[in-house]
Amino acid sequence: MTHKRRILISMAAALAIMPVAAAWADPAGGGADYKKLEQKYQLLQKQMATMAKQMSAMQKQQAKLKATQAKTGATNTKAIDREVKRLYRRVMKDSQKISDLEPGNIQVLIAGDVNFQFQNVQGSHSTFYADSSPMIQVRIDKNIFVNTAFDFYTQGGAAGGSAADIGAANINYELNNNMTLGGGLITSPIGGIVGQYNPAPWNRWLVDGSLEDALLPGNELGVWTRGGLPAPDKMGYLTYFLFVSNGPALTSTTDQNGASYNNLQFGNWDPAAQNGKTVGGRFSYIPIPNIEVGYSFEWARPSADGAITTTNSLINAVDFNSYYVNKKIDGLFRFRGGWTWDQVGQGVDSTGAFSLGGMSNGGQLEVAYQPSLCGIKYIDKMMAAFRYDRIDGPASSNFSNGASHEQRYSIGLDYWLHSNAVLKFEYEFDNLSNNLHGNNAMFVQFAVGI
Amino acid sequence: MTFITYKMTKSIALTGAAVGLLLMAGCAANKSTKPAAAAAKPAIWPLTLKDPAANESGAQIWAENCMRCHELRSPSQYTPAQWGVIIQYMRLKAGLTGVQAKKVLAFLQSASAH
Repeated sequence: MTHKRRILISMAAALAIMPVAAAWADPAGGGADYKKLEQKYQLLQKQMATMAKQMSAMQKQQAKLKATQAKTGATNTKAIDREVKRLYRRVMKDSQKISDLEPGNIQVLIAGDVNFQFQNVQGSHSTFYADSSPMIQVRIDKNIFVNTAFDFYTQGGAAGGSAADIGAANINYELNNNMTLGGGLITSPIGGIVGQYNPAPWNRWLVDGSLEDALLPGNELGVWTRGGLPAPDKMGYLTYFLFVSNGPALTSTTDQNGASYNNLQFGNWDPAAQNGKTVGGRFSYIPIPNIEVGYSFEWARPSADGAITTTNSLINAVDFNSYYVNKKIDGLFRFRGGWTWDQVGQGVDSTGAFSLGGMSNGGQLEVAYQPSLCGIKYIDKMMAAFRYDRIDGPASSNFSNGASHEQRYSIGLDYWLHSNAVLKFEYEFDNLSNNLHGNNAMFVQFAVGI
Repeated sequence: MTFITYKMTKSIALTGAAVGLLLMAGCAANKSTKPAAAAAKPAIWPLTLKDPAANESGAQIWAENCMRCHELRSPSQYTPAQWGVIIQYMRLKAGLTGVQAKKVLAFLQSASAH
């Protein structure tokens, strides 16, 4: 019986492969060639359908056999298991060949998001704001993927002011099951939070976040390798993202106390700014799908125009992301957090004396709860969110870290009209160092993911 | 005593592979973590690197992993072809293995087509 089945499978596989091979060998061009190709494609589809039926029948037979063997105590199902797996692999492989033959196998998708908001920040005039971030995603084939993202938004400072930015321009090649190689401009993985949120306001619970705004790099321009792999002994998954990119530029900034300090300026796309490159990456561990813990680092040897020649910089970050959904709590609970510490090392100025140094710390904790399983109309679409974030700014001196501090407490209420459409209300309480009152802010935002 | 040594060594090896991430508490809840019977395996190295996704359905992987970062998008929101593009993108973002991505794609395309 098994031998007979093997012959049947081999014949079916050979029949399926022959026209595919012929189609691939056939030089493209001309109406006749296209008709031939179309006929082969249709034939191949029929053969695939037959093979799928055969596999389905075999799987049923396999299940019956297993049941029988379980009753009789016999345990030798390995041979038939192997056959089914082999046939499954063959069917999957041929399915891929068929999809490659299908017209329009290069797929283009317009994605992204649009949002508008009303904001009222103390010390500033209230304003409306709009942002559109289209993405063009192209699947060249099963291994090559191209992504381009833009960002268009209104900007103050001039009548009718607006700004445009590029958020992504990258090419990725899936090398194997666990590794993808890529290059171009991509969202930085450092700190996890930017990568998880990007490109979207539509999947954020709250509008703004100082960690991503002030401490973490937004993009990397370079080359990378990334992927996921199973942890040993089926204990979850590990992910990695390693890159080499343009290093940050070093700039001088003045804090709210008037102190001058040196700051890492990411998004350095200008070779005139500095020549240093950065090496960085993020590793994460996902013990269960609900939980991810990450560690990231980025080391660079940035330089700056002016007196400072070179120095070292190192960013470390840890992040945590989790969710819990259960009827016992009538819904969904989310928790995200992260802590980042940037060290700008001692620099050497043109006289050879040491000149700068400083460390910035910052972090945020976010919790959100949505009674999505409570069964009460409208209430089940509401989400309450809270965030605490802080930044301990860099000092002007290497010996007095943390010259400036800012802490913010944000509360928000979201209403999810759709899985990718959310209306948000948020209020931020802002506190600065030396008991200074910061700029409290109110936001109302409507965001839709495309 | 042997059991304790084995478990300890395994924990150290895993922790090193995760680049010092201390998450052993989370591991306790892992559905696929093997109980005492698995500890009887004699060899520590090579550690088995079987993909847990091998025994998971595409629907399960989709439901459990996508929720970590965003709300679940209904399969019917996109065509099967569009899902092909989206999964290529999300495989990168979420650090999915090829096996996971294929299973999720098969599920979404199947659900989308119906």
